[in-house]
Amino acid sequence: MHRSPYRPALVLVVGVLGILIATAFNTTTRAAEVRPPGRSGDLVDVVREMEGQRESLQERLGDLREEVARLEREAAEDAGMTRSFTQEFDRVRLNAGMAEVAGPGVEVVLGDGADVPKGADPNDYLIHDTDIAGVVNALFVGGAEAVAVNGERIIATTPIRCAGTTILVNATRLGNPYTIVAIGDPETLEQAVREDSHGSLLFDVYAKQYGLHVSLSRVTETSVPAFKGSMRPVYATPDDGGV
Amino acid sequence: MLVLALALALGITLGLLTNVSVPLGMLTYLGVAVLAAIDACFGGVKASLEGTFDDKVFISGFLTSTLMAAFIVFVGDRIGVRELYLAAVVAFGMRIFENLGSVRRLMFARWGWE
Repeated sequence: MHRSPYRPALVLVVGVLGILIATAFNTTTRAAEVRPPGRSGDLVDVVREMEGQRESLQERLGDLREEVARLEREAAEDAGMTRSFTQEFDRVRLNAGMAEVAGPGVEVVLGDGADVPKGADPNDYLIHDTDIAGVVNALFVGGAEAVAVNGERIIATTPIRCAGTTILVNATRLGNPYTIVAIGDPETLEQAVREDSHGSLLFDVYAKQYGLHVSLSRVTETSVPAFKGSMRPVYATPDDGGV
Repeated sequence: MLVLALALALGITLGLLTNVSVPLGMLTYLGVAVLAAIDACFGGVKASLEGTFDDKVFISGFLTSTLMAAFIVFVGDRIGVRELYLAAVVAFGMRIFENLGSVRRLMFARWGWE
């Protein structure tokens, strides 16, 4: 006589097995929710996606700023504000780098050296953040009124720093080659860059020694875009004491 | 067999409905526990078919092998040989297939297909 396999203990353990399997299933499902597949570990993708989002937001920010400027002008007209007040407003915006500007100036192009000889330090053949910062500083020394690097406007709080193989300006990653556009007196600007200690090294020494592609050209008409990022001072508040 | 299948379905439903889960670090223990339970179930079915099923032997066997497996995983974690849990997985895996083979043959005998 065969005994039935439906022993209570056996049935109990089978039930426990079911609960264990469900628990394992729940746990792995929850783990997958915590780290969605396709994004886990692939931080590069996350960064790219965020940068894309930021770009579209920056475009929207630029549109909205133009809208604000237009409305301010209209409001000023409606309220019968003096002409000098609106002019003052536009001047402040221009000085702050919040408006696109055009005029004569110079275009400086800095490009990495093409070939690195064997045994040489590849760092010598690259354009670094300090090179860009040096040229930008020299341009301001020469009286530049607006400067942009690869379309990134340099404003009062703009950092220029190295980030791996790219250079960050205003938290935007820029790649080789770097085009620095400055508006000001072309002659003075060129002189300022060529006479600057860093600029002269770059143009007269490094360019020949390491084959860096550097050039400087005066232009009669160029434009510098407005600052695309956002400024939200947290610690700085207007101090009315001096007014 | 139907009762066992129902018990399994009931257990899974119960677990899914209550949505119980364990911390991620315990997942290895849970996996080994699942294997131990599967092993115990096949062993139990085999013993039943052979007519040697004993509640005490069955339950104690299930508990001790689960505890031993958990201990192996724990020791592996402690001494930095995380793969030690594979020892338990291999042992249970082999026994599951052995028992499955025996159950199959016993079934044939029971239904008179030999």
